[in-house]
Amino acid sequence: MNRRVLALIVLIVAVALIPAVVHSDYILTLCVTAGIYAIVVMGLGILLGFTGQMSLAQAAFFGIGAYTSGWLTTHLGWPVWPAMACAMAMSALVALAVGYPCLRLSGHYLALATIGFGIIAQLVLINWKDVTNGSDGMTGIPAPVIGPWTFEHYNSYFYIVLVAVLACAYVAWRIKTTRVGRALEAIRENEIAARATGIDATRYKIIAFVFAGAYAGLAGSLLAHTTKFLSPDSYSFDQSVVFLVMLIVGGSSSIGGAILGAVLLEFLPEVLRPLKSSYIMVYGAAVVVMIIFMPRGLVGLFESLRARWRRGAPPPLGAAAAAEAEAA
Amino acid sequence: MTTPDAAAAAERGLLEIRGLVKRFGGVTAVNALDMTVRAGDVHALIGPNGSGKTTTLNVISGLYRADGGSVAFDGHELAGRPAHAIAALGIGRTFQNIRLFGELSVLENVMIGRHVRTKTGFLGALFPGGATAREERATRDRARELLAFVRLDAARSQTARSLPYGDQRRVEIARALAAEPRLLLLDEPAAGMNPAETDALVVLLRRIRELGTTLLLIEHDMNLVMTVSDRITVLNFGQHIAEGGPAEVARNPDVITAYLGGTLDAA
Amino acid sequence: MHFDPVANLQLLVSGLAIGSIYALVALGFVLIYNAVGVVNFAQGEFVMFPAYIAATFALPAVAVFGGVVHWQLPLIAVYLLVIVLMVGFGLLFNRIAYYPLRDRGWLPVVISTIGVSIFLRNLVQLTWGSQPLVLPPLFPVDTIAVGALHIRPQDLAIIGVTALLIAFQYVLFERTTLGKQMRATAQDRTTARLIGIRVGRIVAITFVYSALLGTVSGLLVAPLFTVTKEMGALIALKAFAASIVGGFGSIPGAIIGGLTIGVIETFGGFYVSSAYVDAIAFVILIGVLLVRPSGLFGERVAEKA
Repeated sequence: MNRRVLALIVLIVAVALIPAVVHSDYILTLCVTAGIYAIVVMGLGILLGFTGQMSLAQAAFFGIGAYTSGWLTTHLGWPVWPAMACAMAMSALVALAVGYPCLRLSGHYLALATIGFGIIAQLVLINWKDVTNGSDGMTGIPAPVIGPWTFEHYNSYFYIVLVAVLACAYVAWRIKTTRVGRALEAIRENEIAARATGIDATRYKIIAFVFAGAYAGLAGSLLAHTTKFLSPDSYSFDQSVVFLVMLIVGGSSSIGGAILGAVLLEFLPEVLRPLKSSYIMVYGAAVVVMIIFMPRGLVGLFESLRARWRRGAPPPLGAAAAAEAEAA
Repeated sequence: MTTPDAAAAAERGLLEIRGLVKRFGGVTAVNALDMTVRAGDVHALIGPNGSGKTTTLNVISGLYRADGGSVAFDGHELAGRPAHAIAALGIGRTFQNIRLFGELSVLENVMIGRHVRTKTGFLGALFPGGATAREERATRDRARELLAFVRLDAARSQTARSLPYGDQRRVEIARALAAEPRLLLLDEPAAGMNPAETDALVVLLRRIRELGTTLLLIEHDMNLVMTVSDRITVLNFGQHIAEGGPAEVARNPDVITAYLGGTLDAA
Repeated sequence: MHFDPVANLQLLVSGLAIGSIYALVALGFVLIYNAVGVVNFAQGEFVMFPAYIAATFALPAVAVFGGVVHWQLPLIAVYLLVIVLMVGFGLLFNRIAYYPLRDRGWLPVVISTIGVSIFLRNLVQLTWGSQPLVLPPLFPVDTIAVGALHIRPQDLAIIGVTALLIAFQYVLFERTTLGKQMRATAQDRTTARLIGIRVGRIVAITFVYSALLGTVSGLLVAPLFTVTKEMGALIALKAFAASIVGGFGSIPGAIIGGLTIGVIETFGGFYVSSAYVDAIAFVILIGVLLVRPSGLFGERVAEKA
């Protein structure tokens, strides 16, 4: 356990040194975007990976966060930090409103309703010109400021994103390893048994959905204040699919998997550049292959490889009856 | 209940089913069922396939909504309450087709069983230490005790799915016991068990009874039923056709007819 | 607003036509759902893909992989060819996206059908480029006059073919052994297997049949809209909404739900807002989910305990 903590600290320090070592703006942009996506994907992980509920609206909540933050800072002149908190709250609130009617029903309905919601949300972003400025996009979004420092450039914004990723990962980890996370996983594994065990499945599913929305909202706000320009095409159904693929490739019920998937797939298009915009095709194929052959993602693959290295002797099977007979 | 008669109150069952009706489309699965389960008893619910036993259990535990009649548990009407609320009142259950949290470890399965007896919420989860850590430790300890109780402590870190069938049934029982139910519903606990496992199950059921837990059990293995039950209710076509002690029920001509003569001879 | 009976009748006809398309695709959803308990998120690609194939064979010049083909086959030949290819497609789809995951619950299958859907949409873009294709109309005239009404013959063809297909399906399910086996499989797979039905084969046939329903809708709708990689996705989403509005799992529900959404959407697009026309189906859906989650024809939505 201590070795794992140590390894984690080393990893975080190494990541924190990236802006000092890497001077390519382009690579730093990719790092910042990967971190922001990792937050969205972790949120999806709480919903899909932990709780087993399907959502294809992560991009919509991402967009709601981005536009809320953008509107509050440009139209109302709010400072960035309260706008960011509001963006997160707004996405969470919308998630509550969408999740409430849909999560009372079984899984397919949620998957569909979230696709429908995503389409509605994007139509609103395009058509509600007074607020969003439509397809022309929203411009002039300010960078965050702390005291004398303005986080204008990618090499400083990197740290804001890093802190946010770590905070989100911490929250997800705490949820996963306590009573609430076990309840979520129980719902994923067998909803009827979970309910008969006293878990209010509907309530927990709604809360998981709200968490996914809040994560996406925070990430959207982080994106708004770094790109400083928002346009509705970044929040399409395809983007939701990309988030889903990131999670499936990394490993859906693992926090590290969510981050790994986001980082990997953010850098992967560089490798797939010859395919131009059809690199998404490779994502589609990757999802099918992963779900058939590696259902627990890359993280699951690493774990089973490691387990193979150090497997102890499992306890004899069917021992309980023998023990009972002996005791009686 | 306002009856002044203390004796009558003692007679009142822990679970009182009155005129229960459950229909599926045009089929009446449970038809005006009356049944009383007394506190402390091992009560068996038997009957031919399709006689409405599992449906009755599903209505009691809130997975199905009754179409009529009442189910009262310790004076609380259960109709209209969701399954999780019924579990919180103190009714635990196992399933005929085992429903474990397959990918989770055996220990986690039982820890989840503690859900209604623990409190940590989303906010509590965010702050380590203090009450959260204490509760987490207590949950783990209690789950280990229960696994020892069902003789499965050695298997605690395996995934539930990987256990043999008989052991999976014992994990389900431990998970249900973790909620400290006053009434435990067991749906065919011996199904798919070999004779040695069934014998061990009889011992386990007796030990559960000694804890003071009331048991309502559905079972096809008549040997087991006759050995462990204090009372038996016999259903046929969703209706109550006989009730009484094992010997009494075995002699009942209606019961013998319902089973076409044969099966009860085994007792 | 001035009430114009002729305009309203025209709207009704085109609403019923687009509703018929939703109904056909919704039937495809429901049949697969009943057979394997999973919603096929690639159902829209069952509509879009055949439209591309048809366009490739039917048009005078089509760019494929950067080259240009000039097949321009007669429409009948094109239709037959597309149907044969789509039978193979249905079989392949079953084999890749469903069969390996059949014992793993619904979520992995849903994810894999989403994967196939993404793959196909982008494969189409890679193959045919992002320029939309336009299938030639079946009929030489755009509209025909019936009294004061101006009606598109394509609309009438859509409604007619849909009615025929529904009648065909009724006979198939009620009168033939294959149809009875399909129904038995949908009701209870374990029992179906016990009485000797080869469930795996029935499931494969269901996928093929569902692909053909998509093919027919794609071929019917392509002359009205342009053929794009997105054409199927939106139709499929609305069809899915329709099947829920009708009561998920119910065949009459899918048909009525499809027609209802088609008609409301057409009137809404005309009278309320054309910018939000694509949102109407989902607003209806969310309304139905709130008020009557079982849909118009559905049993109460609950999992079997």
